[in-house]
Amino acid sequence: MKKSVIPLIVLSLIVAVTLLLSGCAAAPTPEVVEEPTKAVEVAPTATPEPEPEAEAETITVIFPQHEADLSGAFEARVREFEAQSGVKVELIQANWDSIADRVVPEMATGGSAYDVVEFDNGWVAQWCGAGWTTPLDQYMEAGYTDGMIPGLVDLFSCPDGTVHGFVWNNDTRFFMYNAAKLAEAGFDASPKTVDELIEQSKAAQEAGVVEYGMAPFWEQNWSLVNELHFWAYTFGGEFVDDEGCFLFNKDPNTLAAVQFMIDTLESGVSNPAGLTYGQPASQDVFLKGGSLFYPQAIPGLLAYAQDDTVSDVVGQIKVALVPGATPDLSASLTLPEALAIPANSQHKEAAWKYIEFMTSYETNKMLAKEIGLLPIWVDLYTDPELTALYPEWAEFSAQLETARGLSTVTWYGDFADIAMSELHKALTGGQGAQEALDAMAKGLAEFECVR
Amino acid sequence: MQDRVKFSSQRGLGLALTIPTLVAVFGTVLVPFVNSFWLSLHRRDIGRPHLDGFIGLGNYLKLLQDDRFLNSLEVTVVFSVTSVILELMLGVAIALVLNEKFKGRGFVRGLIILPWAMPSIVNAAMWQWIYNADHGALNALLSQLGLIDGYKVWLANPLTAKSLIILANVWKETPFTVLLVLAALQGIPDDIFDAAKVDGASAWQRFWTVTLRLLTPVIMVAGFLQLLWGFQTFELAYIITGGGPASANELLALRIYTQTFNSLRFGYGASIAYLTGLIILIPSIYYIRAAYRSVVEY
Repeated sequence: MKKSVIPLIVLSLIVAVTLLLSGCAAAPTPEVVEEPTKAVEVAPTATPEPEPEAEAETITVIFPQHEADLSGAFEARVREFEAQSGVKVELIQANWDSIADRVVPEMATGGSAYDVVEFDNGWVAQWCGAGWTTPLDQYMEAGYTDGMIPGLVDLFSCPDGTVHGFVWNNDTRFFMYNAAKLAEAGFDASPKTVDELIEQSKAAQEAGVVEYGMAPFWEQNWSLVNELHFWAYTFGGEFVDDEGCFLFNKDPNTLAAVQFMIDTLESGVSNPAGLTYGQPASQDVFLKGGSLFYPQAIPGLLAYAQDDTVSDVVGQIKVALVPGATPDLSASLTLPEALAIPANSQHKEAAWKYIEFMTSYETNKMLAKEIGLLPIWVDLYTDPELTALYPEWAEFSAQLETARGLSTVTWYGDFADIAMSELHKALTGGQGAQEALDAMAKGLAEFECVR
Repeated sequence: MQDRVKFSSQRGLGLALTIPTLVAVFGTVLVPFVNSFWLSLHRRDIGRPHLDGFIGLGNYLKLLQDDRFLNSLEVTVVFSVTSVILELMLGVAIALVLNEKFKGRGFVRGLIILPWAMPSIVNAAMWQWIYNADHGALNALLSQLGLIDGYKVWLANPLTAKSLIILANVWKETPFTVLLVLAALQGIPDDIFDAAKVDGASAWQRFWTVTLRLLTPVIMVAGFLQLLWGFQTFELAYIITGGGPASANELLALRIYTQTFNSLRFGYGASIAYLTGLIILIPSIYYIRAAYRSVVEY
């Protein structure tokens, strides 16, 4: 009996040691097991697939779904890239927050699960400091960026001058309004200042033309911090100086912007449900004719507005400059998103080919035609084919000159975390504007004068 | 002598068969447990690696002065305790009804399980739509009943939002109590109730002195488990309000998540997790001891 037990003990020990050793083994490149929200199966194409001699190189790409991409235009370009290059792409797409939740920890822990990742403008300072991405200068030809909007290249360049990302989504925000409803309320021109915006909103509400002037997206979320930047810029506000020292709690213009946000709720100009809206919900209210103004609209919203399957305001929406605190002050927010290669990617050459293809002049033009994507190439703004399709780009180009990005500090994640909570407390009546800004400064004290 | 050898062999076999499980359990529980405690004694900000280092109890001391953490702690205690009280009261009441004989009892018993069987994420998304300010079922119902003039923005008010999230949790978790209590009720011999009747006990007295007394151990276990689950709740607040409005629903699990994965403060996030564990441990020990003391033999 005793003898019969010994083999079992030995077997158990072998299993145990094997388990331990497997735990110590170097981790292979993790496979992405989560189901992407969009289909990633290779779509059948007319082009016959070449018989591969060896297994095709596979790259894993993760970036958010574009708000205007209802037709799967991005995925179609991805499949075109596969057909042209022979590189297989595992595509992961979801909403921005979900993508951020996957990408940031992966980058922070030095993982190699992804070869091309979403690179948000708000992350540039931190990622550059931590060395999480690959400089792209070594891959691109001389003069490669000539012809791109210079500001977009600069926004994704690190302090040493190297470029770490190329923009796939030139997400600059524009002021859109319902011209038909505004005319019905007795106004033939859009507001030039925030005071006029309030005045026109109230007049339209009193005339019963529209329920609210605005339906902002002010739920306690990252997009609320975008809104804080947007309104602060329209009031000429600042957040930090060149050394990273706080200005937001001392700057009267930033205070005025926060006070403006609170006042629009208290006066009934802003829909109180906006406190629970994310951007899609807010956009939907505008497209259903429930609000007069949409101050921070994505460029593709115009295309949406013309689609009667999602819009009740077909032919009613126009674009104008964002009204500022004074008539001579108009500013907007630009939230460009780029593609970058993680420092630990195992397929950097193929990843670069992908970025090069997706941000090329031709692809950029095709996406502009299909879904109204705002180009990153300067010449495309005067391309006859595109300007015929999008005459409003003339208005866009004026606003592009005044567009500013988010605060570029290495502690942006902490800033957003504290700002969204304190600002939401102010918007829900829990504290005043100055109290909110002071509470932000208190919570971020360890980052005072840290860039 | 032969018996001793046999016993020893059986012991060896038992040990051998247990080793793989022990290795798996220690590897997946104990190692991360110790490792994350060690992490909580360090400053480990992945976005600012130059600041990393051992800081002893620094993270824990900082937590005691962190308004957001203290707010989360308060929110979580209110959420968990209120949920547990409501879940136990409703659970016992529903179980008592389901223990009675009536037509369609089997169907109703099956139906009552549904909320608990529903994935948490689906439950959260469903309640988010129910509470929606523009298209929500709650607004439609109250409006049609004439209880409200117009649609309300339920989730914009901190107090209302907090109450509604507790309601969503109670809806999901109550069936668990129903199941446990119903099983316990079915195990109580009828003789005890008959004896109480003979002694002249009223229905209320029978419930209070017999039924509830015999159910106490089960109720204690259900309450304890639900208190633990309350402290672990994440998706409900994350999906419905993102922790808002004004951080009124920022549960501890949400705070741990944002500190660790948004702000990338891994050491600080680990210390919140450990302090939370410690906070749960104290009532848990008391609870378990009380539960054992209240076991009644019948």
